[in-house]
Amino acid sequence: MLLYAGRRLTYGLLVLALVATLVFLIIRLIPGDAVRLQLADAPGVTQAQIDQRTAELGLDEPVLTQFGHFVSGLVQGDLGTSFDDERPVTTKILERLPATLELGLLAILFGVLLGVPFGMLSAIRHHSIIDNVMRFLAVIGMSLPNFWLALLLITFLALWFGWSPPLVYVSPTEDLGQNLVHMLLPAIALGAATMASIARMLRSSLLEVLGSNFIRTIRSRGASERVVVLKHAGRSSMIPVFTVLGLQVGHILGGTVILERIFAIPGMGSLIFEAVGQRDYPVILGCVIFYGAIFILVNVVVDLLYAVIDPRIRYEGASA
Amino acid sequence: MSIAISGTARAARRPKTRSGLVRFTTEQPLGAIALFLITLFVVVAVLAPWIAPYDPLAQDRVNLLTPPGVGGHPAGTDELGRDVLSRSLYGARTSLLIAVATLALGGAIGLVIGVVSGYFGGTWVDSVLQRIMDALMAIPSIVLLLFVAALLGPSVRNTVIALSLLVIPSINRVARGEMLRIREEPYVEAARSVGCSTPRILLRYGLPNLMAPLFVMGSLLFAVILIAESALSFLGIGTPPPTPSWGRMLSEGRSQLEIAPWMTVVPGLILSVSVLAFNLLGDAMRDFLDPKQRR
Repeated sequence: MLLYAGRRLTYGLLVLALVATLVFLIIRLIPGDAVRLQLADAPGVTQAQIDQRTAELGLDEPVLTQFGHFVSGLVQGDLGTSFDDERPVTTKILERLPATLELGLLAILFGVLLGVPFGMLSAIRHHSIIDNVMRFLAVIGMSLPNFWLALLLITFLALWFGWSPPLVYVSPTEDLGQNLVHMLLPAIALGAATMASIARMLRSSLLEVLGSNFIRTIRSRGASERVVVLKHAGRSSMIPVFTVLGLQVGHILGGTVILERIFAIPGMGSLIFEAVGQRDYPVILGCVIFYGAIFILVNVVVDLLYAVIDPRIRYEGASA
Repeated sequence: MSIAISGTARAARRPKTRSGLVRFTTEQPLGAIALFLITLFVVVAVLAPWIAPYDPLAQDRVNLLTPPGVGGHPAGTDELGRDVLSRSLYGARTSLLIAVATLALGGAIGLVIGVVSGYFGGTWVDSVLQRIMDALMAIPSIVLLLFVAALLGPSVRNTVIALSLLVIPSINRVARGEMLRIREEPYVEAARSVGCSTPRILLRYGLPNLMAPLFVMGSLLFAVILIAESALSFLGIGTPPPTPSWGRMLSEGRSQLEIAPWMTVVPGLILSVSVLAFNLLGDAMRDFLDPKQRR
């Protein structure tokens, strides 16, 4: 098991290193000059000043040298300093990370808490009206863009109930209740698609398991339907759900960017958006690496969970 | 005996290609509805200049922010007095153009990578290509789009390039998986034994046999692209201003949510129905092509 975990983690780190390399190269290969953009508005800027600023930021060195600095910093957890306010990128990101993680976790929680019972209900009563309605709702849930859903929620809550989400972000340590009120709408908008995917996947995997031989045996021994579904079939049908969850993390992380903009949440999404506008390369690079790291980490965890649920995977993984 | 049976089955399938649509309609009614909606979407997109009641950029100064049905505007107007329905119809044109271009560009690259990778499955070529694909997939799509689109600057061409990065890994995965299967097929072995070159095997025997699952993927990706394009325009880095696009209409509507909800509801609804149709069509095609799924 440890060996398996080690292999998965090493592989994750390899992919992360590739992400960092790719992003670094893309940034440097694409035309666009951070210095000119920064100094463009200031009147009377001379070429000498531009050159000086370029040298200060280390942008006059060859790309490979820059890459060398970047890599040696990266392994020490140093992502450089922001072009904008000269603060360390890691600090800037860590300040913003909690809000993004909170939003993402709330969305996943919402998706799982509703998606799992919906999927089970759909499978147990399959081909009934409930099942058909739920399946249709699930496809719709997957098709609604999260930002549109968010706008609709804001509009109709305001028009029908006269309630608008708070405009100013409050951190959870300051006032947890106020913070959760703020996070509620974006989490629902973001989690709707996750809920729909989980319900769909659980329905089909549960149906497949319920039709298999071992369930027939358990039923023939007189186990109640509740025990069959919750204890025996439930466990086996969870694997595809975890796969979906791993994939959904990508959507949720991406979704936080746009929802943070709509709801004025100071998370990583707002940070990368601001950084992109200012061509603040180190911050952009740092954010992309952090997003990649979260995604890869979650998927390694999901892989390890498979092994916990299904012992066949861990033996296969360890012997290979 | 078995050869004879499969021979007649194949012979019988040939003339049936025309009735394939009929069979699809009866077996997958939802898919048929989706196909109808998609046809409608394409027709609207292509014919937008002729069926839109107004010029999408024309400003009706007398009717600013009028609700649907007032002043001859079926879906109301925005804060500049532009007709929301006409803009939405033109938005379909923008979205269709971008989605088709993206699928063509990203699909072609993804297909080449996937087919080559699958044919050389297990070798270093495969490993290198797939690790790069893993890295691309590890970056959340909006972050990747934001990153590329913002660096390149907002234009239709750059949006297509950025969106292609979403398409490439998905198409690659399907094509690679199919190619891994196909390369073990007897007809590939036969082709190799009579001395066909690798490119010829890939093009003549690989490609035609992996198209079916690619259509399924293509339809689902179309839905993804429609949303992603709108998301980019919503954030203000997709399709640049004068061109009407659903995403930017939504972001313009955002400031008028309580005064003029139709500015948000109409383009969003059309976008969602289009996405829904492509998702339903993808699902229906998958079930239709996979006999095991027929319950």
